[in-house]
Amino acid sequence: MSAIIIALVQVVLFVFLAPLLMGVIRQVRATIEGRAGAGIWQPWRDLRKLLAKNPVRGTDSSWMLRVGPVALVVSSLLLCVLLPLVGTIPFALIPSDLFVIVSIMLIGVVALALVGLDGGTAFGGMGSSRHMTVAALVEPTLLLSVYAFSIPAGTSTLSVIVETRLLSPELIISPVSVLALVALSIAIMAETARLPIDNPGTHLEVTMLHEAMTLEASGRDLAWLEVGSWLKLAALLGLVSNLIVPWGIVTDFSTLGLLIGVVSIAVKVLVLGVLLSVGEIFLAKVRLFQVPELLAGSFALAFLAVTASYLVA
Amino acid sequence: MTGIGAGLLLQLGLGALAVVTALLAAPSLRSRAGGILCTLIAVTGFITGLAAMLGATGGLLIPVALPMDPLLLAPDRLGGLFMLIVSGVGILVSIYSMSSTSGPDASRTAWVAMPVFLVGMQLVPAATDSVSFLLAWEIMTLGSTVLLLADHASRASVASAGIWYSAMSQLSFFFILAGFAVLAAASGGTSFSNLQAIEPGSAAANVAFVLLLLGFGGKAELVPLHVWVPRVLPEAPSHVSAAMSGAMVKIGVYGGLLVCVRLLPDGPAWWGIAIMLVGGASALYGILQASVSSDLKVLLAYSTTENMGLVFLGLGASMLLRGYDATAAADAALVAALLLAVSHAAFKSTLFLGAGAIIHATGERNLDRLGGLGARMPVTAVAFGIASLGAAAIPITSGFVAEWMLLQSLIHGGRQGGAVVSIAASVAMPIAVAVIALTAGLALLTFVKAYGIAFLARPRSVEAADAREVPSLMRISLALGALSVLALGLLPGPIAALVATTVSSDPTAAVQTVGLGGVSLPGIGAVLDPIMLVVLSALVAIPVIVAIIVSARRHPHRTVDLPWGGGGSRARPRMQYTATSYAEPLVRVFDDVLKPSRDVQVTHVAESRYLVEHVRVEQTVSDVIETRLYRPVLNLFQRYGKAARHVANGSIHRYLTYSFVALLIVLIVVSL
Amino acid sequence: MFETFFPQLIGLCTGALLLTSALMVWRHSLLASIRLLALQGVALAALVAVIGIAEGESELGLVSLLILSVKGIGLPWVLAYQSKASIKQIQESTRLNPTAALLAVTLLSILSYVVVSRVFGLGDSSTGHAAPIGLAMVLIGFLLLISRRRARSQLIGFLVLDNGIATTTFLTSGGVPILLEFAVSLDVLLVVLILHVFTGRMRTKFGGTAVDQLRELHD
Repeated sequence: MSAIIIALVQVVLFVFLAPLLMGVIRQVRATIEGRAGAGIWQPWRDLRKLLAKNPVRGTDSSWMLRVGPVALVVSSLLLCVLLPLVGTIPFALIPSDLFVIVSIMLIGVVALALVGLDGGTAFGGMGSSRHMTVAALVEPTLLLSVYAFSIPAGTSTLSVIVETRLLSPELIISPVSVLALVALSIAIMAETARLPIDNPGTHLEVTMLHEAMTLEASGRDLAWLEVGSWLKLAALLGLVSNLIVPWGIVTDFSTLGLLIGVVSIAVKVLVLGVLLSVGEIFLAKVRLFQVPELLAGSFALAFLAVTASYLVA
Repeated sequence: MTGIGAGLLLQLGLGALAVVTALLAAPSLRSRAGGILCTLIAVTGFITGLAAMLGATGGLLIPVALPMDPLLLAPDRLGGLFMLIVSGVGILVSIYSMSSTSGPDASRTAWVAMPVFLVGMQLVPAATDSVSFLLAWEIMTLGSTVLLLADHASRASVASAGIWYSAMSQLSFFFILAGFAVLAAASGGTSFSNLQAIEPGSAAANVAFVLLLLGFGGKAELVPLHVWVPRVLPEAPSHVSAAMSGAMVKIGVYGGLLVCVRLLPDGPAWWGIAIMLVGGASALYGILQASVSSDLKVLLAYSTTENMGLVFLGLGASMLLRGYDATAAADAALVAALLLAVSHAAFKSTLFLGAGAIIHATGERNLDRLGGLGARMPVTAVAFGIASLGAAAIPITSGFVAEWMLLQSLIHGGRQGGAVVSIAASVAMPIAVAVIALTAGLALLTFVKAYGIAFLARPRSVEAADAREVPSLMRISLALGALSVLALGLLPGPIAALVATTVSSDPTAAVQTVGLGGVSLPGIGAVLDPIMLVVLSALVAIPVIVAIIVSARRHPHRTVDLPWGGGGSRARPRMQYTATSYAEPLVRVFDDVLKPSRDVQVTHVAESRYLVEHVRVEQTVSDVIETRLYRPVLNLFQRYGKAARHVANGSIHRYLTYSFVALLIVLIVVSL
Repeated sequence: MFETFFPQLIGLCTGALLLTSALMVWRHSLLASIRLLALQGVALAALVAVIGIAEGESELGLVSLLILSVKGIGLPWVLAYQSKASIKQIQESTRLNPTAALLAVTLLSILSYVVVSRVFGLGDSSTGHAAPIGLAMVLIGFLLLISRRRARSQLIGFLVLDNGIATTTFLTSGGVPILLEFAVSLDVLLVVLILHVFTGRMRTKFGGTAVDQLRELHD
């Protein structure tokens, strides 16, 4: 029962938080760059605008253009349900197992890639191809870094991992955990199309990944694609923040605890978003064919983390 | 006679009947009659296999006059599982092939070979001694070779594929024969119960292990013995490719399990490591080649190498872990390997049948010339899509459950109760996880490419634009295949528990059923319930769908010719991304492994060197292992062959003289 | 309090050492490599300081300061002694593709773990468990020496190797006598200075110090 309440709270909270997070990230960037910015509520206004438009669809586009965006949103919502964000009380039959989480995320990745292909234009295919290449190369890092986290906890269930770190905080500054965290962060940046892998601010550049796939979508199709991507970013940032600063998360169910959990995760995600935004000011997008190098680097870190935690501890 | 024996006998009888029918039936009836009989053979095999897997004993004794152990066909639980896999694929293939009415697929040769092939595959897992095993193995190989060559008259590439296939099959057979011979010599008998008595650490066991691994690895398409795969599976008729990749390759896996689990369990640690290495290399190499291939059937063929690599990776991991007494993880890895084999049978045969449907409708298997088939062939598109999800290991399909279980066993295998199991395991496990992760990532790309390029977007050729949905029997077969992929993925618990009984001494400690068909690994502490996942997804999807319905009522969509056209108004279908361009970034990233050859020719306008008339770019990715490893050896053989030509000049007298001299030498040697 | 965090601190310092070595293989730019080298010197000094505090030896504190001044500040400063604008542009073109080099780094680290645990045994102390990192650094230094073309980048590889040796000695024996460390540090400093003078003069005379090109001078 408490698991259901927490899941419900997480979904509602993140549906509210994700557009806000995007607004904050954009606004911080604008402020630092000396622009006025559109304000932190702009993503909400964008959504309202998109949902109130008649979507335009091509004669050759298939049902994928309709189903793909929904699949992306559902996969991102499932991430919000399953990840330990507000509380670490998992469902008994579907715990927040690492491999299940990654596969659910991959449903969204596949849906987006297929939507990109469905438009039948060169741009969509290009974005889709690059997106899938990056996704394929990210996966080893993603799995290995969380594998490294799982070793001290003895299980691949993320909520147990977070709980273990809450109980023995010295794990957080252990070299294994630091290496794995750096690797995981790079993997998540690649997975959510942030700098330095993809530039979320560009349109119609030859280098873009994410934007290229959504070019042919419009109206509510585009709205769902955007919401799905935002939710994914917010949920993954929430996971990272809970791995770095696990305090505040609900382990024993109570109303006050739930309130603290909600406030703390919201603060953590927004602070991490501000940090991300500030960090991105100093980064330029790397060339597409240097991305594998970056990912190989993060893979090396994750691999070192895993072997070190086996052999040192 | 027991039920199992009766089932086996019935299969043999039906097989004989099918052969006779194929020989006698009129061409118009041949496919229907042959298909129905083959379906019956497969159904009989399915029931027999299921009974054997559930623990029924008994068998069929074939009396022989030769002085050796009697030939006994009596499948154990593991054999039953593989009979089940083979016959399941057999049912799909038989139904599918019924609708072919003309051409080589409906020829007399093909319909004689089909039942032979099916029965041969059924008998291999039923064999309990090495002689009947090899006999059944050869029947299977013979049937498949004839089926492959049925189409040789119309296409030259089939003949070349046939030569490769025969050569590699005979190589496999030779290794297996040699391996069994070594074991039989050491144990003094040919039946498996005799062979089991051999000490696993002994020299004979080591030699036999290597020989048998080479033999079965060749059949299971493992690197570097996979070279027949990219030639044979694409060139064979699609339902034959489906049977080969879905079923026959599993017989190679069965061979591997027979050696590593039944005959020579508890081998030294290097056996497990060797199998993991071979499996990991096959998985990575196979999926890399698959991901850059633009030929749909070559892509599927290489992806088979990948999947079998993963199966053997799981097998190797379980052997390694069992050696360190990590029984729970070892059992889970083995069950995962078997589940992967089962699910591969389901999704890969569906994919090959789907490719067959595409070829039926368009005559093309080059992805670069397909596109837009989703609207034109909806049933094929959905079936192929579901099977692609299975191949890409996406949740609620069978492939996902198997890969999940394999990863769980690996990440828990490195340590037990907080202590590191061994250095070898703690180094091998992370590498294995990394290999599986990269393989899974690339498989995702491969199947997004295969499905997206073929079924979505706009048609890239006239043939694709004119495609029509395939006949109903083909559709039924495709739908059955897709349903089995979903069923295996939605109810992994009972299936995994059943599979565990075939290999584990304590199945309930390894795998249990939880919830509505969910699976739990008690020794490891991992739970997965796909049905709950579906329920959960449905719950979160409801608000989204309601929002869409409301929004669609208020703001209906408009259909235009080309919405944005990527910013251009004249975006023609030829300007879309093709399969080749889709894989281009990957070819660059893995340039050092794939060694593609690129050829760019620029033709200038006659008046000026600065103006370009047209540019021709050609890029081919060849199989590095073939060009680097096989070509030199083949060239060597060819040179010796030329030198030996005047020894064998075709004169019958000379050959008779050779035989006579050989006989004399043997007699002299014997009398010494 | 310190006892509970001691293993974590040792781990953090050795982790930083390994990480900086791996990053040096990763980055192409010379300036980045020099900065990482400075960071590595600081991490080494911190490691010595932590060991010193744990064992209560004030001598090690002195050694730590020495290392900080020589390896953390002195050597990088000498290496980077050139106008900022021009050094920023120096990009290393390696013999090995960086992805392969990174994978090689992971394999080398595993190898050193396996070798140390098989041949010497890891012991029970946390310093013993961290000892393979020193060996890994030595191997990575070798890798850098082999794969880099420029003389100065090779010099960095040599310094990583030297740091690796120092790490191993500190972790296994709890430190070398101060005099020895002092002498070794001076030696290294001397080598670097000499090489630096040489490369500087060669650059003014021949225009570059890529080792492959230098071989032509021999003929």
